[in-house]
Amino acid sequence: MNFKTTLRAMIAAPALCLMASAAFAQAFPNKPLRLVLPYSPGGIIDYVGRTMANALSGPLGQPVIAENRPGAGGITGTDTVARSAPDGYNLVLMDPAIVINPTLQPSMPYDLFKQLATVSIISTSPEVVVVAPELPIKNIADLVAYGKANPGKLNFASAGIGTTPHLAGELFKQRTGIDATHVPYKSIGQSYPDLMSNKVQFAFSSIAGALPFTADNRVRPIATSGTKRSSVYPDLPTVQEAGLAGFEVDLWLGIFAPAGTPADVVEKLNDAIQTVLKDPETIKALAKVGVEPRGTSAKDGEAFLKNEFGKWKKVIEDGNIKDQ
Amino acid sequence: MFFDVFSNIGLGLTVAASLQNLAYCSIGALLGTLVGVLPGIGPVTTVAMLLPISFTLEPTSALIMMAGIYYGAQYGGSTTAILINIPGEPSSVVTSLDGHQMARQGRAGPALGIAAIGSFFAGCVATFVIAFGAPPLAKLALQFGPAEYFSLMLCGLVAAIVLARGSVIKAIAMVVLGLLFGLAGSDVNSGIRRFTFGIQGLADGIEFVALSMAIYGVSEVAVNLEKKEEEVATVGVVGSLLPTMAELKYCTPSILRGTVLGSILGVLPGGGALLAAFAAYTLEKKVAKAPRNFGHGDIRGVAAPESANNAGAQTSFIPMLTLGIPSNPTMALMIGALMVHGITPGPRVMTDRPDLFWGVVASMWIGNLMLVVLNLPMVGIWVKLLRLPYRMMFPMIVGFCCIGAYTINTNITDIWVMAFFTVFGYFCLKLDCEPAPLILGFILGPMMEENLRRALLISRGDPGVFLQSPISIAFLVAAAGLLLIVAAPAIRAKREEALAE
Repeated sequence: MNFKTTLRAMIAAPALCLMASAAFAQAFPNKPLRLVLPYSPGGIIDYVGRTMANALSGPLGQPVIAENRPGAGGITGTDTVARSAPDGYNLVLMDPAIVINPTLQPSMPYDLFKQLATVSIISTSPEVVVVAPELPIKNIADLVAYGKANPGKLNFASAGIGTTPHLAGELFKQRTGIDATHVPYKSIGQSYPDLMSNKVQFAFSSIAGALPFTADNRVRPIATSGTKRSSVYPDLPTVQEAGLAGFEVDLWLGIFAPAGTPADVVEKLNDAIQTVLKDPETIKALAKVGVEPRGTSAKDGEAFLKNEFGKWKKVIEDGNIKDQ
Repeated sequence: MFFDVFSNIGLGLTVAASLQNLAYCSIGALLGTLVGVLPGIGPVTTVAMLLPISFTLEPTSALIMMAGIYYGAQYGGSTTAILINIPGEPSSVVTSLDGHQMARQGRAGPALGIAAIGSFFAGCVATFVIAFGAPPLAKLALQFGPAEYFSLMLCGLVAAIVLARGSVIKAIAMVVLGLLFGLAGSDVNSGIRRFTFGIQGLADGIEFVALSMAIYGVSEVAVNLEKKEEEVATVGVVGSLLPTMAELKYCTPSILRGTVLGSILGVLPGGGALLAAFAAYTLEKKVAKAPRNFGHGDIRGVAAPESANNAGAQTSFIPMLTLGIPSNPTMALMIGALMVHGITPGPRVMTDRPDLFWGVVASMWIGNLMLVVLNLPMVGIWVKLLRLPYRMMFPMIVGFCCIGAYTINTNITDIWVMAFFTVFGYFCLKLDCEPAPLILGFILGPMMEENLRRALLISRGDPGVFLQSPISIAFLVAAAGLLLIVAAPAIRAKREEALAE
């Protein structure tokens, strides 16, 4: 009897829990969700964010509204979500700037690891190394050799201090020992006229930014920065293949919620993200700007985030990059 | 070559005149006018919101609609600039100088009319400039590196001093103040935040729309509140709605000059179309036939910059369509939309997708025609709006400005910025300091600094880089020349003073 009750309780308790969580999960999206995009309209975040918001409304059964909240290199938009109620209705889509900002900015309005939780790292996208077409540089080895033979001649463009193209260039300098001057632009797109006319010699560019110019060889792509080749540039070797073991720069995107969002709500969001990332329509839409779906679990995402944080912190400190 | 262009325009017209594309063109132009009239919501926001819809359209239709929004907004922006002194778009700041004065004298109708006619003419010419000159003009744009941009901006800043009426010293002071305000926010070259006082909302600098609405629109409300209601110049007499033939004839040279300047400057990515309006106004002040009444409601002061900014808006499609380089955020969005359709903007668009390229070019001409047809009858309605008693008008102006300032970035700091600049603008008005040079300094200053430092970074600190290209030298010489023109009367006056003693 006693044993039986215990047994029953042992069976019933998890079942009840499951039911409770199912009831709660059903209750969860009972109003529209907000996905904050912390950059101005027009970039990758904007495009991917709107695509995801549209797609996510399906499995979540509620509209997901994409909202641009640009400012301060993504800090403003991320901050609004970090401060909002941890109920799962406030989400933010961010790129590696989310782990770079805390190292670079002396004062942050929020604490990344205390106030935000990873829902999923949704995508991965390499950068493409482009060089000025009039230079005799056809691959990474040529670029390094050119840099060594012409010290003080190389410039590399970026989308601004502390952006992925900037830090990728710094990492490249640190790994190869070549000297190159960093020339920041407001966006990577603005640097292309100077790249085409060889005022700036190379850049780590987003694929979306590079495509119009590499399509007809107005700049020369020589490698991509991921662990495997990009489907957009299948003929280009990765920087790793070209000899820089372990060199990886990933323009990943992640969806984050305020810390303290209930685990089952995060789980539900993560499930929805996994579902839409398997949808061929979404995959096709992302591929158009060189973005490939990833869709980590919340836990793996958190670990990945910590790892990326450490990686860029080291690059920033080794390169003595400052920002105030 | 000549025949080619005409057969291409023919192709474009057949594409643009299809029922579907005509519809999208008119939707775009209408929406554009609307968001241009409403302060705060600009073409960028509108295009961004329509982007998901555009993915389901034919790429040509999508681009036609977005282009319509873009030039429609240029058009609508001048309506508010003239009627209530609120420049909806940066390029209509200049229009408000004489346009609003005209409105206060009861000549809002002719001001709006000449803006529409000038814009239409400029739009037509610019369409042909794109058709004939796109490839060579694109090459010109590519020759602009950081050094050339710096010299161009410098020339523009000196022109800002010429732009001001009255005291040269005050004008210089306002330019410098504008420069300083422009420096607030994150510095592109170092990432350091300047003049933000630790306020997160200022991290990206002072919002232009908040600043210009405060200085022009709200400050004027403040000044008007000092007066008794009868004295406040809402427009009692509306006068004729359209410019007379004599006025049209009088404005023709100005429209022509504005169109030429606008077509050329518009090709330069980054501020070209905006500079065009300022440059056209400056030029008018110098070359227009007497009697010159600029700043006090000279109709040519509306005709020239309006033609220039519309021509510039149109030719700024050249770098986008032929090089894939966006001139402004709206165009960056259009490039994004094209890429989603699998079209990579660049020189090959003209050969690979002639229907798209020429269709869009032809649609611009059609769109401009629609804008005139749409707007001329509207002039009457707009002008009636001015008959509202001022006690109803000013809360509306302040309210719209606040909503406008907030919705740009949904940043509450922008409203505080507006409050600050309202007070600032009020004192400027009282001290008889022209805000136009300040605006130009505010816009050009940061661009000039960015390019100066970029040029010096690339040249490893050698200032000789500014004297290495003929384009750069030409602008520097022009700047020096302008400076002499400004200085000359001052020098003469000094000498006369000395002689008198």
